[in-house]
Amino acid sequence: MKTVLIVLGVLAAIAVVGFLFLTGQYNNLVNRAQAVDAQWAQVQNVYQRRADLIPNLVATVSGAANFEKSTLTEIAEARASVGKVQINNSGTPNAAQLAQFEQAQGALSSALSRLLVVAENYPSLKATANFSELQAQLEGTENRISVERGRFNDLARDYNTAIKRVPAVFFAGMFGFGEKPYFTAKPGADTPPAVSFDFNKKP
Amino acid sequence: MELRLPFLFLVATLLGGAALSAERIPPAPTRYFNDYAGVVSGPVAGQLNAQLEQFERASSNQLLVAIYPKMESDSSVEDYTVRVAQAWKAGQTGKNNGAVLFAFMAEHKLYLQVGYGLESVLPDATAKRIIEREIVPRFRAHDIDGGMTAAVNAMIAATKGEYTGTGSTVADGRRANGNIKIENSAWVNLLFLVAVLVFAFRAIRRAGRNPTLLMNPGRRSNSWINFGGSSDSGSSWGGSSGGGDFSGGGGSFGGGGAGGSW
Repeated sequence: MKTVLIVLGVLAAIAVVGFLFLTGQYNNLVNRAQAVDAQWAQVQNVYQRRADLIPNLVATVSGAANFEKSTLTEIAEARASVGKVQINNSGTPNAAQLAQFEQAQGALSSALSRLLVVAENYPSLKATANFSELQAQLEGTENRISVERGRFNDLARDYNTAIKRVPAVFFAGMFGFGEKPYFTAKPGADTPPAVSFDFNKKP
Repeated sequence: MELRLPFLFLVATLLGGAALSAERIPPAPTRYFNDYAGVVSGPVAGQLNAQLEQFERASSNQLLVAIYPKMESDSSVEDYTVRVAQAWKAGQTGKNNGAVLFAFMAEHKLYLQVGYGLESVLPDATAKRIIEREIVPRFRAHDIDGGMTAAVNAMIAATKGEYTGTGSTVADGRRANGNIKIENSAWVNLLFLVAVLVFAFRAIRRAGRNPTLLMNPGRRSNSWINFGGSSDSGSSWGGSSGGGDFSGGGGSFGGGGAGGSW
């Protein structure tokens, strides 16, 4: 009688501890997944901030006498293609969607940096307070983008590590905890851009 | 002795690793105005520190200045300083109303990092203007005192009125409450687990002596461990009572702000 009770008690204790442990593991994964999703929203937020700056920038720049029209149309096209990227609204995109998003945003980034390079050729434009203010905002926004992207990658790495570790690896798939994608550095980001000035070209 | 050798090796490896990495995130400063490079005259530094402390009392905004002899990182200044500012947690939790002005003397570089909550009143363009118009011309003329004074005044003027303060600083609150704070829920979980185990163990032992107790848990022995504990309000933290010291409120930074060089 005594031994049976002891065995039952020990089994009950193990069951309780095991349940608490698994609950903790599961909740931990939920928290991490939510953190990644929240950070994704933050990433979209800063990209949106950049998109919102563009009309103002284009208006200011096109006011300058005979500004190169090709850079402006390039920006307009890049911005439109960013708007076309379809991303599910519920949380972090999958790897393919993220790659598409990155590609569209990358095209916009390079169009914008080209615009700033071209603007160097227009001293009267650069001297306006409006343009220098926009330039500061654009720089700050690019900086915010890299900060939020970096944090997204950190959180996604934490989460991906968590779902691949024992014991979570045994049940993560069962409960639908899939792997989250990372932002990648732009191909060619390690090489400085080639800048050539063609002063004879008529805009 | 056999245990000690691997341990020493581990310590050596860790230290070696730390020495190899070029970047150092400095610990959170203890004052508002921190001149680690020794370029600002003592009275001016003291006065600016008092001004910034008073500003936290009035507005709850935590504005910091940190002047370093050189930048201890290979990253770009904007990337490095945002990580430092984030680690220092300037600004109040929820408001994120902190801002940190960095100056690196060897590199001649400046960066003003603005917390999320101050981005509306201190947008990048304003941060740029503070740096380009208030600091850079004075620094070029070797007037470090004047540049810093103008910068602090401009930062205060820009961020005034966005939030209202409580009349005390985070450091005041820490001094009053002591520094004891359980924020790690892991400890709470562990305590709970221990409590469950102890309870189960006692139940089993008692059941062993008197099997009817398992069916009738109403009767309890009064030797139950007192988990509530006598509420132990931390005694005064002692030490520095003069004020003027900074303690981060938990603010967060997202890379807002602007930089420049002189």
